[in-house]
Amino acid sequence: MIRDIGYLKVLKTGPGTSVQDGGRIGFAQYGVPLSGGLDRRSLSWVNHLLKNKDTDAVLEICQPGLKIQFDAPTLICLAGAKAAIKLNEEAISSYGIVEIRQNDQLDIGEFHQGSVLYLGIKNGFQSEKVMSSRSWFAGITTCDFAKKGDKIPYFTNQEIPASTASKAKWNFDWSLEQIIEVYPGPDWELVEIENQKLIVSGEFTISDLKNRMAIQLAELLPNSIAEMSTAPVFPGTVQLTSGGKLLVLMKDAQVTGGYPRILQVSEEGISILAQKRPQQKIRFRLI
Amino acid sequence: MKPIVKQITPLLYEFEWNSAVTDALLQQQLSFKSNLQNDFSSEISELRMGFKSLAVVLSKPVESALLSDWLQSTNPEESSKLSEKIWQIPVCYSQETGRDLESLAKDKNIPQEKLISIHSQSLYRLHFYGFLPGFMYLNGLVKELHTARKSVPDRVVPAGSVAIGAAQTGIYPSSSPGGWHLIGQTPIPLFDPKLAHPVFATAGERIEFIPITKLEFGQLRRHPQQATFR
Repeated sequence: MIRDIGYLKVLKTGPGTSVQDGGRIGFAQYGVPLSGGLDRRSLSWVNHLLKNKDTDAVLEICQPGLKIQFDAPTLICLAGAKAAIKLNEEAISSYGIVEIRQNDQLDIGEFHQGSVLYLGIKNGFQSEKVMSSRSWFAGITTCDFAKKGDKIPYFTNQEIPASTASKAKWNFDWSLEQIIEVYPGPDWELVEIENQKLIVSGEFTISDLKNRMAIQLAELLPNSIAEMSTAPVFPGTVQLTSGGKLLVLMKDAQVTGGYPRILQVSEEGISILAQKRPQQKIRFRLI
Repeated sequence: MKPIVKQITPLLYEFEWNSAVTDALLQQQLSFKSNLQNDFSSEISELRMGFKSLAVVLSKPVESALLSDWLQSTNPEESSKLSEKIWQIPVCYSQETGRDLESLAKDKNIPQEKLISIHSQSLYRLHFYGFLPGFMYLNGLVKELHTARKSVPDRVVPAGSVAIGAAQTGIYPSSSPGGWHLIGQTPIPLFDPKLAHPVFATAGERIEFIPITKLEFGQLRRHPQQATFR
């Protein structure tokens, strides 16, 4: 197969657009975060429909206001947040396969539901691979977030690849789930019984402090657990800070932390949390 | 000093030790780590260390009793010694390169020279990396220099800053927000993502801070050198 390089050019962007894949597995021993797509379910879905590898690199879009141009034909696939999308000024669906011709322009507008939109591309984006991953992270890859004028490479064979994907409907209802399944974390037993009850029976609010590193929940809990010696943490680890806040670590989280690790969210739960918006409510259910 | 093992998720386990952070504990953690790597090479996706813990991430679920049975039967080598290697990190201790040096010395009621000599005459044991890519968790700060972290963290701590926070000392490998007290700066690079081995020191080895002048600091900045060991 002929594989020329084409480029996606960023004409305009809000904050929070980056290239992500399955993450940087095995480099935590050097203090390097895992990174990778926040919503693994949607990332896998776009790659699946494109018949890519499960963890091929995609564009993760966390804010409206992105405008991009493709300089060579390809196939792309959208999934995750439902958003207002325009292809060459014509409104199109925000999920499924889209055939891209040379110089096509795509606009990502307002998000109607969910928080993170994924744009996959045939054979995956081909930006630099550092430590076995293309996921952007400051200090590891050259780019951390997309800015106007960035050019992100992909493979093209100068014609639109045949799309054999069935018109599989993207059902996004899973992201509406309010209940997040969690395992007791390594320090769960240190949490006072009264607090344990509050945590499994209470409703929690996603705060505005939500990024690729962590989501802070708005509610305050009384916390009397002494400071811990630094221990491993992972995406999905829920920390109880000394100020009594719950902090759910996401994909760019540090690899170690000093706060008690009271819960561990399932991978499925991380995808659901990633799609939540500030002010939305969640509940934890122990499994 | 055997640890307990907890299963957290189908793929995540943690070994935990209930003992003080010492060379002996680190030696046992490292011995456990290498035994795990040997015995479960095809099941383990990654291992992460803490001061009193060792997390195991599996690539596929195993029978839940497997690791607790393994713990019963494994015998970490009690005799093996930690590495004798000592990495020498040049540090320019000064108010210009460590903006909290004056205030920290004042707070401790000791002359700056005394603070510098206490900090640079100790050897520090590298336990693991965390916080930032290439950030070393070091044990061995003398009690006299223990200092509560700043209540309001600094927005920007320059790369290479040598700092004290609570019972620890460390070096910021890259520019970052941080709440530790800055006492100096090293001109040598600590982390290079382009290298197969992006850091120079390995857990179990030791670190020594070598005071250098502002002139030497400037020269090393212009002509960067790799860390050396003795």
